[in-house]
Amino acid sequence: MYGEQGIKLVQHAKRTLNLSHLPPYQTETVRAVTREVRDLDKDVTELLEPFQGSFNPSADQAVACTLLVNHLSMRRNKRCLLAYHRTRTDKLEELVWKGADVVDLSGQQVRGDPNAKDTPTSSLSPQEEDYVRQYSDLLAAYKGQWTDIDLTGSLEPPRDLFIDVRVLKDAGEIQTEYGAITLTRNSQFYVRQGDVERLIAQGYLQKLS
Amino acid sequence: MDIDDILREVDPTSSGVPNETSDLQSLTRLWVAERSAPELLEWPSGGLFERINDRIKAQIEKIEILTGDMDPKTNFALIVIQTELERYKFLVRSYLRARIAKIDKHTLHYLSSEELRSRLSETELAYATRHQALLHNHYLSSFLSSFPTQLQNLNDTAGNVSMIDSPDLDAAVFIRMLRDRPVTGQGTDADITLNASNGEVLILRWSSAKSIVEDGDAELV
Amino acid sequence: MALPLPPGLVPSEVAFLCEMEHVTIVPRQRLESIELLSGATPSLRPPRRENIPLWLALLLKKQRRANILPPPWLHVDSLRDLIHHETVTDPTGWSLPPPPPVRADGRGNARRLNSDATTVLSPPFLPSCTSSAPAGALPYHWFEFAEMLLAHASDDVPSASDVRSLLRDLQEVRAAKMRTSIAGLESGVDGVMSLLGVGAMELSESRGFVTGVVEGVRKLGASAEASRREEEEERGGADDDEPSDDDMGI
Repeated sequence: MYGEQGIKLVQHAKRTLNLSHLPPYQTETVRAVTREVRDLDKDVTELLEPFQGSFNPSADQAVACTLLVNHLSMRRNKRCLLAYHRTRTDKLEELVWKGADVVDLSGQQVRGDPNAKDTPTSSLSPQEEDYVRQYSDLLAAYKGQWTDIDLTGSLEPPRDLFIDVRVLKDAGEIQTEYGAITLTRNSQFYVRQGDVERLIAQGYLQKLS
Repeated sequence: MDIDDILREVDPTSSGVPNETSDLQSLTRLWVAERSAPELLEWPSGGLFERINDRIKAQIEKIEILTGDMDPKTNFALIVIQTELERYKFLVRSYLRARIAKIDKHTLHYLSSEELRSRLSETELAYATRHQALLHNHYLSSFLSSFPTQLQNLNDTAGNVSMIDSPDLDAAVFIRMLRDRPVTGQGTDADITLNASNGEVLILRWSSAKSIVEDGDAELV
Repeated sequence: MALPLPPGLVPSEVAFLCEMEHVTIVPRQRLESIELLSGATPSLRPPRRENIPLWLALLLKKQRRANILPPPWLHVDSLRDLIHHETVTDPTGWSLPPPPPVRADGRGNARRLNSDATTVLSPPFLPSCTSSAPAGALPYHWFEFAEMLLAHASDDVPSASDVRSLLRDLQEVRAAKMRTSIAGLESGVDGVMSLLGVGAMELSESRGFVTGVVEGVRKLGASAEASRREEEEERGGADDDEPSDDDMGI
């Protein structure tokens, strides 16, 4: 039935909204919906042919009705395709903003696909891979206007740029923006959080209050 | 930085006060407004962002010079300077990204008329135009090019449904009055007018609030 | 998506905004003026009081370079008055925000600060958390300001534990009022509703819910509203009783 494939795409798009990754591109369904549009258009042309450009809807209401349904079906399919592709490009853009590039994204392999053993399958269509490349360039160009701001930086308001830390284990000398600090056990320092995050995670330092 | 400086700033009888404080207020107000408004607001004229960008650049250079000076006194000054710089950068970043998010969501809408295009900065306009072109190309190469030609557009309005999605201008917003004045809001059951006083917070539709905000009689919160 | 946040400031952003409020400090150490992006800081000479942004005051406090003077509205007596006002004097409305700032001009006349200026100041750029702020009026950022002060400088707040429990009482009284206002919204929305005296954090926390209710009511009533407008159009015509914004502007 007309529209059946289209709704599949919309359902896919809806599911994609709640996923953190991008599911495989539905090449077959996209092709089927596109084919349906072309078939409908062909039907329209054939229906109109006998009228030689002088079709009068009120004189021939049955044909008019078929034409209308065909037109609406085509437009609906178009909207389904647009919604599906837009949902995916939105997701791809979001990942590009987070720092992913086309290699990261196309590297996502399709799980459970028996054909994927030797030839890794990208969940992106070739067109989507192109799109990611081009959007990355566009974003880089826009970011370039604001190099000092770091546009892809955190959207959380800055807090505790500098913190007090206590040294739990001797960690030797570390380099910070202010030069070298020697971390001896039980000493305390006021340091830039970014400089010592790893040492905190490794258990050398403890963040105070 | 001193309150007296701020007072002098708004006092039209005194002049020659650096405009750093009023720039911070302007940037802050723009940020809050852009984060709260349902549609893209106008990019500020008057070179605000050029000034801010120049100052940030100069401040980063200063930090580079100060770094390496191990005198504990200047060391603390450096902490203060860096903390403030991060705050400033956050404001600009969050503001710019709030705008880009709106532009991305309704790109064709903001490109559709001269009035709307004029709200974008030059770089935003370049970004939006190119982004739309990329999307259109992507649709074309993915499926649209095998469509009949009359169906290849992205701005159909057939059947009274426009393909160009636009922001909901009737969305509810909160504003704070900056002057005493009557405020009329359109409602479901009735349109009412109330006399609002400076500092008062109101909830109403953006379509009702917009002109009051544009007049500078209220601000979004 | 370039900005994965809902419209309106989220609580962490409200706290960030509040850190721009100016607060009065008593320096404990000398500190030369620092050229910042937002202007130069005052040079600090103990014990001369200065007004500086809260974020800077908290930084100085952490380093024991200064003490913070809590604003008069955060004192025990003031908080008791405010609770009395909210529960007894006016059990339905919120306490009024501090009046618009007034200053004396050169001829000794007090005039409103914002009355004729081109740049109109508003929180957090008004001196509503400094030692010269009035008692008995809650400024826009009252809640988050008090929280931050108690979290990082409780030794500077006289009777801090009493202040803390009074703030909790005040918060509860006001939260109940916010719930009542929202309940009122569900029965129908007029074109504009006043939340005179509401605080920034209170607004941020209920924003999503309030706008959700207002928009739900609007969408349900959309067709009724459209026919009301049509009727009014037919009846009114040129005789529009809505005051024009331009005419009423000051």
